[in-house]
Amino acid sequence: MCRILAYLGEPLPVETLLFDTDNSLVRQSYSPRMMNTFLNLAGFGMKAWDPTSLRPEDPFSYRTTTLPSFDRNLRFMSSKLASTCLVAHVRGATYSGEAVVADTNLHPFHFVGARVVLAHNGHLRQFARMRYSLVEHVRPELAQCIEGTTDSEWIYALVLSQLDDPHGVPETRELADATASALRILRDVRAAHGIDTSSPVNLCVSTGRAVVATRVSFDYGWYPPEDEMLETDLPFVSLWYAIGGEYARRDGDWRMTAGDPPRSVIIASEPLTTDFSTWLEVPEYSMLTAELTPEGLEFETRDLDV
Amino acid sequence: MSDRETVEFLATVPLLEGREEAELVELARVMRRRTVREGEILWRQGDHARELVFIVDGAVSASLHLPGDRTVEIGTAGRGEIVGELGLLDGAGHTMSVRVTETATMLALGRLDFAALLAGQHPSAFMLKRRLAALFTARLRVQLRHLAVSLGGEMAGPPAEDAARAFADLENCRPPDSRYVRRMTTFHDFDPLALWGFLTSGSYVRCPPGRTLLAEGAPSTAYYLTINGAVEKVLVRGDWRIRVGLVGPGRAFGYESLIDGRPSPVTAITRERALLLVLPRDLFQQLFNGEDAVSRGFLDVIQKDLIATLRETLRPCARLAASV
Repeated sequence: MCRILAYLGEPLPVETLLFDTDNSLVRQSYSPRMMNTFLNLAGFGMKAWDPTSLRPEDPFSYRTTTLPSFDRNLRFMSSKLASTCLVAHVRGATYSGEAVVADTNLHPFHFVGARVVLAHNGHLRQFARMRYSLVEHVRPELAQCIEGTTDSEWIYALVLSQLDDPHGVPETRELADATASALRILRDVRAAHGIDTSSPVNLCVSTGRAVVATRVSFDYGWYPPEDEMLETDLPFVSLWYAIGGEYARRDGDWRMTAGDPPRSVIIASEPLTTDFSTWLEVPEYSMLTAELTPEGLEFETRDLDV
Repeated sequence: MSDRETVEFLATVPLLEGREEAELVELARVMRRRTVREGEILWRQGDHARELVFIVDGAVSASLHLPGDRTVEIGTAGRGEIVGELGLLDGAGHTMSVRVTETATMLALGRLDFAALLAGQHPSAFMLKRRLAALFTARLRVQLRHLAVSLGGEMAGPPAEDAARAFADLENCRPPDSRYVRRMTTFHDFDPLALWGFLTSGSYVRCPPGRTLLAEGAPSTAYYLTINGAVEKVLVRGDWRIRVGLVGPGRAFGYESLIDGRPSPVTAITRERALLLVLPRDLFQQLFNGEDAVSRGFLDVIQKDLIATLRETLRPCARLAASV
């Protein structure tokens, strides 16, 4: 299992989200609070959009299989980067010889030339059985881009394949529909293969101007016998958000300030502070969409019936 | 307030009903008395819970924080009531901020002393667990009523006949592998033999998704424990439908009615196909009112479930209040 984070809003030092708070994303790699018996030690990745940078439409990219808590480069860079959109991920992999810890398996996934990135918290059980049935739903030019061994990269290719132009910047609504459509394809392919065990698919998908996030699980509550991920998957995989004006330190505490209309949102597997009284839980089986507009942040929650 | 007066007050607290006078004297000895002025904050939401307080006189208000430095009041408490016990029991911090609304005299009880009251096989410990279950059920109803009022409109869920039909149609099946059940957090503290006794006391049913098992406003006839799959608890008001909880493996539903004899506060519908343990009312009452190892484990399971449910129900409360 993994931990994900998406931010959209006022320029914010990346360091704040990754390191500064008492339950920051990097801390969640070695001390997650809402995940039993599992750590996220298989690498880190992020995509960060900075409107003042060269080619601002391209995100700043960083990923490494080393532990982010010991990564000085990451710490230095994140202190110099103020982002209006960030998608970051710490990867968890099963403690077995079958797990592949490699650069190509790190999230957020971002094919060359594409303008959409994706990070995944969850896993598709028995993915090996269904992998090649997904080929017919993925555009050939995108299938060729898949380099790693994860289910997540296939989900990414599947989402891109549902867009009119996989290399363009989709409207938020199109991106949300493509994400929902990809989930329905996964549901159907699983059913065709008789796969009926719990498979969480919490996603953060972003263009740099918009974020789509899902909190979904297929066949929640059903597990194979002797499953090593059972304790981790018994609770519905968590996803939270904080929305408001700006994420700032007030009286020693990090919190989202008031904002009407809202200007910033953080979506994360776990609240970034141990005091989560100002965070809201994303309902199970739902999708959040957020988009930066000149008037502020447009934000919506909807049920996801997949 | 003298020691005698403290004991006399404790004897009137419903939660402590059935305690011997000597126990109340001992309890009074370890409690700390204090007066808190109107407007003062007892604790803030999320604070580590160190004590619970019995309100001797005065009143307090419990409120939930919302994004943007806003709050919403969820409930109040006055003479003879207690506040702060949830955080003591599950160690997850106070669920709400508590502010004194009318200058109050309070008796504070620390974590270890409260745990001592609940420990052991003495009938008074069983009685306290049952009283807590009733208290939490009443609190849950307050929270759900708050949500229902926020939604507005008339109750509009599926009719009770649907639930009765669904229950009659359920397909019976074999019990699950107890090794799987033991891995659920709910049963970690359950003695293995007592767990076996619990798991073999009811029947098991399979249920497809989308089936209404329990209708809000109708009496529940059974306690349901989800072994596999998930059941959603919803409130429906007019065109609004809000999920107030998702009952996954190791979690239960349908028992509030069995505890307080009132109609079900929610509608329960299978979200995923589900395998459920069903304890009919008489079996539930037998376990709930028993005083052996199985009953002790069962009361702990009920308590954990109610605490988790209370915490979960605050989340849609916060979401709804934040969206207004």
